[in-house]
This record gives sequence, structure tokens and C-alpha cells, in this order.
Amino acid sequence: MINLENRPSQFALELKEISKIYPGPPIVQALSEISMAVTHGELLGIIGSSGSGKTTLLHIMGTLSIPSSGSIFIDGRNVVGMSDKQLSGVRSQQIGFVFQEFFLLPGFSALENVANGLLYSGIPSDERKERSFEMLGRVGLGHRANHLPNELSGGEQQRVAVARALVHNPSFVLADEPTGNLDSENTASLMGLLTTLNEEGTTVILITHDLEVAESAQRKITLRDGRVDSDLSR
Amino acid sequence: MDHSTSDKFSELHSKMGLRDILSVGSSGLRTRRVRAALSVIGITIGIAALVGILGLSQSGSADLLKDLDALGTNLLTVQAGDGFRSQQASLSSDATAMIDRIGPVYEVSATTKITGGVFLNDLIQDGRTKGITIVAADLNLLSAQRGSLKSGKFLDEMTSQFPFVVLGSVAAERLGIRNTSANQRIWLKGKWFIVIGIMEPLPLAADLDRSAIIGYPAAYKFLGFDEPPGVIYVRAYPEHIHDVRSVMPATVNPENPEEVQVGRASDVLEARIAASDTFLNLFVGLGAVALLVGTIGIANVMVIAVIERRNEIGLRRALGATKFHIASQFLTESLLLSILGGITGVVVGMLVTAIYAISQDWSIVIPVYVIAGGILCSILIGGIAGFYPAMRAANMSPTEALRTK
Ligand SMILES: Nc1ncnc2c1ncn2[C@@H]1O[C@H](COP(=O)(O)OP(=O)(O)OP(=O)(O)O)[C@@H](O)[C@H]1O
Ligand SMILES: [Mg+2]
Repeated sequence: MINLENRPSQFALELKEISKIYPGPPIVQALSEISMAVTHGELLGIIGSSGSGKTTLLHIMGTLSIPSSGSIFIDGRNVVGMSDKQLSGVRSQQIGFVFQEFFLLPGFSALENVANGLLYSGIPSDERKERSFEMLGRVGLGHRANHLPNELSGGEQQRVAVARALVHNPSFVLADEPTGNLDSENTASLMGLLTTLNEEGTTVILITHDLEVAESAQRKITLRDGRVDSDLSR
Repeated sequence: MDHSTSDKFSELHSKMGLRDILSVGSSGLRTRRVRAALSVIGITIGIAALVGILGLSQSGSADLLKDLDALGTNLLTVQAGDGFRSQQASLSSDATAMIDRIGPVYEVSATTKITGGVFLNDLIQDGRTKGITIVAADLNLLSAQRGSLKSGKFLDEMTSQFPFVVLGSVAAERLGIRNTSANQRIWLKGKWFIVIGIMEPLPLAADLDRSAIIGYPAAYKFLGFDEPPGVIYVRAYPEHIHDVRSVMPATVNPENPEEVQVGRASDVLEARIAASDTFLNLFVGLGAVALLVGTIGIANVMVIAVIERRNEIGLRRALGATKFHIASQFLTESLLLSILGGITGVVVGMLVTAIYAISQDWSIVIPVYVIAGGILCSILIGGIAGFYPAMRAANMSPTEALRTK
């Protein structure tokens, strides 16, 4: 459960007038003056058609790419202007990623893949294992800990990836089309998992162009041509 | 912003222990074993070649150098050369005494060839002499050569008066005589002589290995032979060896010094060492080429690995790896590859050296610096081969790396 008193800011993530211009040629303005604030414990869906700037926005939220202008506050602290090393630190402690392609490392067991989520955080290896095992249990895969990715179904692989994104207890999880490679049954099951985790306190930012998937979110932001088109809460 | 906030953020940096760096660095190899094994073959061959060649040349020339050391470089061989009067020239009968008078000379030993056959007995004289030469020699011949005996004794004051003979190592082998315990007789220029000694090979005078050596008094008494020396072996103090050599012809034959040939017996050994050095350089060159090819091979495999594992790099960056962590992962991988190749190469090189040295009856000499050098060399190669791929991986933009086509 979240404990807001321990949080340095009311917001897990706050964007202020974020623009992103790809110098090209041709020059592409992928994002124009996007502002939004994500409260701790939210499940936010970001939707938009292909090319509307969803992935660009997710990479900026995740400090993987630097905005052309604007500021980003993660847990109340502006990360724009930080060095590459500092940004890596922010990612290792405060952000979890889930990708459409799962990106599990092939030679590693499910448990080791989850433990990779703690690899760069300076936690001793025994504790990494312990926490990873616990996290695998939370996504319902405790019994598959020693299986290799190619021994798991697509749905199970994405659950492992979710466990990896959550194992270091980040301020928020960024999921870019997490159901993009899953069939409808596994999609429903994964969304059930993300909803449950959110109810248990995890802040989730879910990017999708699948409107059905976005239905799980209490709040939906629609992007159009790099701008916020609508911001609706249920 | 309150104090606790800035404290919390100041802790936010990525950390990774050495063990994790090693484990992550080896993960790429563990999952691609065949490729890893193939990619280090070049390094293995190169290091094995260098270790083997250096080891062998050390073992080989160690023996040569040991020989040279034991035998000394101060033995001169004086003989009558072909003068203008092209008859079988010999030295004057007082040549030995004259040489002895040269200051720095401390040992002079004369020998004279005697024509005649040497046979195991008096029945089989089919004209085949087995290429054994009869030589009359001074009693200090063995010490002048710094030779030793395989069996029996050398000639002395007493035995040189009688029909006793000492055989060179090859001569004994050709006659089938292994030791002197049976007082074996041989048929030497129509007389029985008893074998009292068999010499070990004499590296400084290989022709004496094929000879049957008797004393001058015995040669005179039993064979009626009385001729001046043909070859005189001279030991002089090493620091004066050049001076002794230059005054030798005029001392031995003042009228026709050009008819006297003076050689340094150890020159043959030194030529062999020089020849083995030439081979050494050639093979070191070949080993270096193999290493160069091996380096390029590892660099190539690493560049491919970085391209193939682009998504892994992106993922690790998303999980919080710094550029340094990514660089160290690929550099570790390259170093592990090259060290693997290096260690295998050192082991193979040592085995080759040991097997060859044993087959040649050499002492096995593999200097520590060759082993350490082989490993060090492979570490250097891993660093060089892995540097560019590691930099390329580290500087890949995370968003680029995460892209799937
Ligand atoms: N590296 C880049 N260089 C130039 N233009 C880029 C780059 N990355 C993205 N763009 C452009 O920025 C715009 C937004 O791209 P983005 O990938 O964010 O879209 P998206 O909403 O994620 O689309 P999709 O649903 O297809 O994944 C697009 O017009 C795209 O062509
Ligand atoms: Mg996208």
C-alpha cells in the first residue's frame, strides 16, 4: 500500500510544457508543450493513433530520451539537466519499464530475468534473488522461477517482465503496448494483473492504441499529433 | 524542497559490484558457447605458437648454450692447410713444442691420422672399413676436448705403450661394442688391440667420434708409425684467444704461415645457435601474425555481438545500467574470450614444447616469462579487440537500442 507521507511529492510524475523535436531532416515535432501530472497510485492510460507521439512521450517520462524543452519532475525532483549517470540512477530506483516485446534475456531463467530489475541498484545478490522470487509469486509465476523464457508462453513472459519492472519498487511503471504481442485471453489476464497491482498501490502509466485495453484505466489522456487532445477521468 | 528529499535523491545512482560485472560479462559467452570457442581459435594458435617456439628454442639453445659453456670457446684447432705445394701437408714435428711456448696457451694436444682399417676381428676383412679412422693422440686429448668416457679409461702413460685402444662414440657403435668389461679385441691395421675405453661424443671435434685412438708409443711400437702431428688442439686463456690465434700460423710454420689453418672449434656450435635464432625469429613472426588475425577475429565477433544484442543494451539501460556498466559488460566479454584463448594457447604451447623436447632428449625449459607473457599478451589483445565494440555499445542511445524494426 502506498504511504503518501513518505513521498517527497504528491505527484509520482509531473511534466511541464514538454516538447520534443527530432532534428531530422525532415524536422519532426513529435511532442508540443505537453503538461500533465500523475498522482501516486494512479492507473493512467495514454492513447492515440500511430505516430501521435506515445512512445516518444514514454521514453521522455522514463528519462531514456531528453526533451527539447520543458521540465520533468519525478517524485518532485526535476530530472532535466541531470547527467547520463544520474539519469541511470533514477531509472534503476524509480522507474519500471514493460515493453511490447517483453525483452527477456534468453539464457536466463525467469527468476534471473526478474532479478535483472535489481542488478544496477547496488542490492546484494541474495536479497535480489529473494525479492525477485517474492515478486514472481505476486505475478502468479512462483512455480516457473527456473524456467527459461523460451519455455514460457507469451502471456507468462510478459508477466515475468512485469515482475522485473516492479521488483525494485519504482515510483511508477511505464508500459508501452504491453499487450501488443498477446492474444485476447492473455491481454485480459495481463490487464487483470496490472489492475490488481495498481489496486495494491503501484502507479501505472499504460500506453496503448487499443481502446478496449484503455478501458481499465481510471484516467485517459488522448494524444493527437503530439498534443494532449483530451484528459478524462472516470 | 526539504532536507530528506535531497538526501533521497543523492542516493539515486546505479551501482554494480565486480562479481556482477564478471557474471554479466560472461553471460553472453555462456549462451553462445560454440561461437565463443570458434572466435578464440586465432588467439589460441598464436599464443600456442609463441609459447611453443620460445619454449623449444629455450630448451634447444639451452642445451646448445650449456654445451658451449661446458666446452669453452677457447679451443683452437691447428692443422696444415693446402699450401702452394699441394701435397698432403703436415705440421712440423716440433710444432707442439713451439705452440706450448706461446704464453697464454695452457694445453696442447696433438693427433695424427694413421691410414689403415679397423675391424671387429681378423676374419672379415672385406675392405669395408666402417669409416673408422685410426688416430695416434697425446694423452691429454680427452681433457683438451673436455670430453668424458662412456666406459673404461682413457690412455695413460702406461696403456699408451701397449696395444690398447680408446674408441670414439660412433666408432664403438659401428663396431657394436657397448662397454669395455669384456676386454674386447679389435683388428686394427693388422694387429690386435684391446678396447680399454669408449668416449662420449665430442661436440668440438666430431671427427674424433669416428676414430680409434691409440698412443704415439704404441703406434710406433706396433704399427711402425712415426709421423708429425696432423691436427693439434690448443687451449689458451679465453681473453687472449684472438692474439693466440693470430700468432699461431707464424709460430707453427715461420716460412709458410699461410699453409697453417687455425680454427675455433666452438664456431660450429655458435653457428647452430645463430641458425636456431633465425628460425626463432621466423616463427615468432608467424605467431605474431596469428595473434593479429586472432585480435581481428575477436573484435569482429564483439562488433557483431553489439549489433545483435542492441535490444539487450536498451533493456539494460532502461533497468538503470550506466554507459560505464554497458562498456564494462562488453569489455569483460572480450577479455574473457581472449584470456580463455590465451590460457588454452599457453597449455597447448607447453604441451608441444614438452613433447618435442622429450623426443629430442632436451631438457624442458619453459621460462615463467613466456607463460606470463602469453597470458598478459592475451589480456592486452582482449582490451584492444573489445575497446571499440564496448564504446559503441555504451554510446548507443537507449531509445535507438530499444527499437525493433
Ligand atoms: N528518432 C526519430 N527521428 C525522427 N522522427 C522520429 C523518431 N522517432 C519517432 N519519430 C517520429 O515522431 C512521431 C511520433 O513517433 P512515436 O514513435 O512516438 O509514435 P507512437 O505514437 O508511438 O506510434 P505507434 O503507435 O505507431 O507506436 C512520428 O511521426 C515518428 O515518425
Ligand atoms: Mg509506439
